[in-house]
Amino acid sequence: MQRSLRWWRLALLSLPMAVYVAIVAWPLLDSFYYSVTNWNGFSADYRIVGLENFRALYSDPLVRGALRNTMVWTVAAALLPNLLGLALAIALERHVPGSRLFKSIFYLPVCLSAVVVGQIWVWIYQPDWGALNGILGALGAPQSQRAWLAEPGTALYAIIVAWSWQQTGLSMVIYLAGLTSVPQDLVEAAALDGAGYWRRLWHVVLPMLKPATVVVVALSVINSLKGFDIVYIMTGGGPFHASDTLAVAMYDESFKRYRMGYGAAISVLLFLITLGVVATYFRELRKLDELTV
Amino acid sequence: MPPGAKGALLAGLSVLAVLFCIPTIGVLLSSFKGTAEIAAGHLWFGTSGFTLDNYAEILSKRSVYQYLRNTVLVTVPASVVSIGLGTLAGYVFAKLPFRGSRVVFIGVVAGMFFPAQILLVPLFRLFLGLGLLNTLWPMIIVHSALGIPICTLLMRNFLAAVPDALREAAILEGANELQVLLRVILPVSLPALAVLGTLQFTWIWNDFLWPLIFTQSDDKRTIMLGLVSMKGQYSVAWGVQGALSLVASFPTLFVFLRFQRYFIRGMTMGSVKG
Repeated sequence: MQRSLRWWRLALLSLPMAVYVAIVAWPLLDSFYYSVTNWNGFSADYRIVGLENFRALYSDPLVRGALRNTMVWTVAAALLPNLLGLALAIALERHVPGSRLFKSIFYLPVCLSAVVVGQIWVWIYQPDWGALNGILGALGAPQSQRAWLAEPGTALYAIIVAWSWQQTGLSMVIYLAGLTSVPQDLVEAAALDGAGYWRRLWHVVLPMLKPATVVVVALSVINSLKGFDIVYIMTGGGPFHASDTLAVAMYDESFKRYRMGYGAAISVLLFLITLGVVATYFRELRKLDELTV
Repeated sequence: MPPGAKGALLAGLSVLAVLFCIPTIGVLLSSFKGTAEIAAGHLWFGTSGFTLDNYAEILSKRSVYQYLRNTVLVTVPASVVSIGLGTLAGYVFAKLPFRGSRVVFIGVVAGMFFPAQILLVPLFRLFLGLGLLNTLWPMIIVHSALGIPICTLLMRNFLAAVPDALREAAILEGANELQVLLRVILPVSLPALAVLGTLQFTWIWNDFLWPLIFTQSDDKRTIMLGLVSMKGQYSVAWGVQGALSLVASFPTLFVFLRFQRYFIRGMTMGSVKG
């Protein structure tokens, strides 16, 4: 019996594990190897260059710019969609009329692809007939009109707004799920003690949402570190690399300039940053005794 | 909440909802308008010149059908395989745990946190070596594998809540583990499978990065890549681009509207991927 159990474990687990190791785990480690080579993507003739790629990375202004943009993006992604999502969740939890419709409207962008979202927002920012300049014109502020995606000063932030539009619905539903776990008798007890709505919200409900906040913030940080599609679609990292992220820089180096070794080095940097975030995430989760895994 | 606040709340929500709809409505409107209309600034407010020409244009393009066909040929098998593999692994982790299985489980689940960029160069090399670049195979294989972490996590968590007695009764009646999985576990797992199905379908359909890396010729492109490549062809024909975006999003919109419940549950649980 015990032996057949062992056999079955092996039989059922070997296929998924083999695929996972071959396509995910092994290539992940393999990237570390390529990051110390000068492979160009095609030639069989390449060599190990040691830490040269990482040294070059450190002094590469494009990578530094991309790193800075990734940081800006990460902080913005942790704040904008999540604060809005939290506000929406708290508002919709009140069972306002039509709350199902509201939820669907705020959630719909999540199911659109980054390509489509990017395209939609390119149009919003279109200088001649885009909605943003149109609204600014109608509000009597034509001096504020600009080519939002073509100016180095605004391109990154314009993309972040588009990104937030898509991500808000996700934070909203996670917060809605979190709100269902707030014990109602606690809220009612606070009400009996004479606490008004805002005081109850601040002192009772929000502290109970800490686990949801840890999840939401960690997820948006992790997702923003992956940010590639939407940047690639909206600006390609431009103008003049003003909206490059590490993920875009990695793609450009590897698949446009065919410096795969160098690209692998950027991906290793991105991986290590993500590792730090994930480690913090799990530590926080354990602290909250809310281990979801 | 004070009684008067409800009206204010409703008003605030409505304004936000309208703002949220503007981008989507813009695309919808554009798909029914001619280029000249849009360029003249009549996208948002002008109501004349409703046309179906944009849809006629893209539906007359053979390449659009080819893109859609490729996307289906990647999305359907990759969804099925990743869910199947995740179910196998999730079953073992939930019902047949062994010493160290928790470590293996966390190792598998950790895979969904990391950026795909760390896999790009080695996987490009792998499929270059196998001679599979510019076919649909790399996308099918990669999505089947990348889906394993989320499918394993969800199935393991779902199956952990299924009573052990179900399995034990079947084992006593002489069934083996595979029979238990297929005849006892799968039928009660339909809700979890529905969540995973909507999730995997949407992700793989919407994917842009992997087709960008693995395909070169037009006849192997998926719809999201095709959408981008046709932008050049229709660089100022915004209406055609709008119609194409809607056609490309139709399957995922349909899945969302039809299976909203499963979709949202899946996204909440698996939102780290994307």
